[in-house]
Amino acid sequence: MTVQIKSLTAGYGKHPVLHGINMQIGGGKLCALLGHNGSGKTTLMRCINAVLKPLEGKVVVMNKDVAMLSRVQIAKIVSFVPQSSHTAFSFSCLEMILMGGVSRMKMWSAPSRQDRQKAWQICEEVGIADFVLASFNQLSGGQKQLVMLARALYQDAPVMLLDEPNSHLDFGNQHKIMSLVQHIVKQRGFTALITLHDPNLALNYCDEVIMLKQGHIIASGPTELTLNDVNLQGTFGDNIKIDTTSSGVQVVVPRYLSQYT
Amino acid sequence: MNKKVWLSLAMLLMTAIVSSLSIGRYAIGLKEVSGILLHAVGVDGYFSTPTIEMQSVFWNIRLPRIIMSFVVGSGISIAGATFQGVFRNPLASPDILGVTFGASFGAALAIVFVTQVTMGIQGCAFIFGILAVLSTYFLGSRSWDKSAAVLVIAGIAVSAVFQAGLSILMYISDPYDQLAKIYFWTMGSFQVASWAKVQITLPIVIIGTALLCIFSWRLNIMTLDEEEALSLGINIFKWRLFYIVISTLIVASAVAAVGSIHWLGLIVPHIARYLVGAEHKRLVPVTAILGGTFLVLMDTMARSILTTEIPISIITSIFGAPFLGYLIISRRGGALEGDRAN
Repeated sequence: MTVQIKSLTAGYGKHPVLHGINMQIGGGKLCALLGHNGSGKTTLMRCINAVLKPLEGKVVVMNKDVAMLSRVQIAKIVSFVPQSSHTAFSFSCLEMILMGGVSRMKMWSAPSRQDRQKAWQICEEVGIADFVLASFNQLSGGQKQLVMLARALYQDAPVMLLDEPNSHLDFGNQHKIMSLVQHIVKQRGFTALITLHDPNLALNYCDEVIMLKQGHIIASGPTELTLNDVNLQGTFGDNIKIDTTSSGVQVVVPRYLSQYT
Repeated sequence: MNKKVWLSLAMLLMTAIVSSLSIGRYAIGLKEVSGILLHAVGVDGYFSTPTIEMQSVFWNIRLPRIIMSFVVGSGISIAGATFQGVFRNPLASPDILGVTFGASFGAALAIVFVTQVTMGIQGCAFIFGILAVLSTYFLGSRSWDKSAAVLVIAGIAVSAVFQAGLSILMYISDPYDQLAKIYFWTMGSFQVASWAKVQITLPIVIIGTALLCIFSWRLNIMTLDEEEALSLGINIFKWRLFYIVISTLIVASAVAAVGSIHWLGLIVPHIARYLVGAEHKRLVPVTAILGGTFLVLMDTMARSILTTEIPISIITSIFGAPFLGYLIISRRGGALEGDRAN
C-alpha cells in the first residue's frame, strides 16, 4: 500500500479532530476525501504531509513512517497542492514551478538550464505554456491551480495531496483540474488523495472514496461501491441521494430536487 | 541576468566612487585623483604630482569613508531584502526585529555611563543590537504560533522597550555633551569612518553578504506560505533562523560602526525588484551593489551640501520616503509587490 494510516488521532491543542483513523490507499489510485466542513479532511492531509504531528498513531507513506523522515525526504515522496496560493512578491509562473525542485537540489544551488527545460515540458503537458512567464499573482484562480499542479508534477513525488483544489474555481475549471489530475494519476502511476466538496466530482473522476464524519471514517472503498445513498446520507445528511438521468448518467442531487424530476 | 542592468550598475558605481573621491570641502580634481592612483603604483609624470596633504585626504579620509559607506549600504540593503523575503512582507526592514533600537540603546548606554571612546560605544551598540534580536526570537519561540508574524510583533514589542530605554537615557544625559552625541549617533554618520573601522566591519559584512548571495535562491521559497514551503522540502524554521542570524550580524555590525541609517533597507530592495524582478538569485546581488552605490552617493551629499555635515539618515529619509510615495501612486507601484519593470 502506498499510504497507510494506523490508529491516527490528531487535532489542535488538546482537542482531537480525527479519532483513531485507519485507512490505506493503493498505488496508482485517485482517491477522494469527502466530508462536511470540519469533518477532519484537511487535518488528515496535514498529518500525511507531516506538517501536523499526530497525537497518537502513525502515517506510513511508501513503507516509511513520515514522523521519522526529514522535510527533504518527505518532499521526495509527497507533494502538496494547496487550496490557493499567493506570494508577497510577484514571481513568474516558471519561477514558482521551479521551486518544486528544491528537495532535489544542493543547499547552495539554483535551477539549471536542464531544470528549466524540464519545467517547460511540464508546463506544455499541463497546458500553461502560454502564460508561464506571466506574473503568478496576476493569474486567475483556475490558472493558479494549474501552476500549482505543474509545480507538484515538477516535484515528482509518487504521492500527491490536493486540498480542495476546486474550491475557488468555476464549473468548467473544476472539471478541467479533475480530468487533468485523473490523467496524471493514470499516466504516471501516482497516487493522489484529493479533498472535495462536490461528491459528483468524486463520482465522475475518482477510483476510491473515503468518507469522513466528525473525525471518523464512515465508509471507504471503490467509488462505485462506496458512494451510495446510505453513505452519502451518513456523511452529508438525509437530503442527498444518487439519481440516474434519462441518459443513464449518475448524479448526486439533493433529495428535494430529485423528487420533482 | 540582464546585462544592461549589470552594465548600468557598474557605471553608476564608478560614477559614485569617482565623484565621492573628488567632491568635498577639500576638492580633489579628476586629474589629481588619477595622479594619486598612478603615484601609488609608482607611475609619475602623466598628471600633476599630488601634494602630501592631498594624498593624506585621499588615502586616510575619503577612501576609507567610501569603502565604509559602500559596505554598510550593501549590508543594510541586502539584510532588508532578506528580511522582506523571510517575513513575506514588502514593508519589512532590517530593524524589524529590534536590532536598530537595541544598538541605539547600547550606544546611548555607553555614552552616558561607560565611555566616550568610539570603540567602546560600537562594542556596546553591537552587543545590545544582538541582545534585542535574541529577546525578539526568545519571545517568538515561546509562542504556540510559530508563524513569522509572531516574530514581527515580538520585534515591535522589543523595539518599544529599547526605544523607551533610549528616551530615558536621553532625558538623563548631559544636554551639553552626551545628548548631542546620542542624538547624532541615532541619525548616523560616516564622519567617524576610518581604516580601523573598515577592518572590523568589512569582514562581517562581506562574509554575511557572500552567504546570503550563495543561499539566495532558497529565499524564494521562504516567501511562500509556511505549509507550502515545508511541503516543498524546506525546513522553514531552521532556514529562517539562518537568514535572521546572518542579516542581524550584518546590520548590527553596520549600525554599531556608523549609527542608525533609516529607509535604506526598505527602499533599495524595491528598486532592485523593479529592475530585475522578485527572484532572489538575481535580486540579492543587485540589491547589494545598488545599496552600496546609493549610500556612497548619499554620503557624498551629506558632507558636501552644507558647510557642516548632515547626518546620513536625514539624507536617506529625504530621498527614501518620497520614493516610497512614488511607488505607491505610480502604476509601477506594483513594485511594492515585486512586479518587474517589463
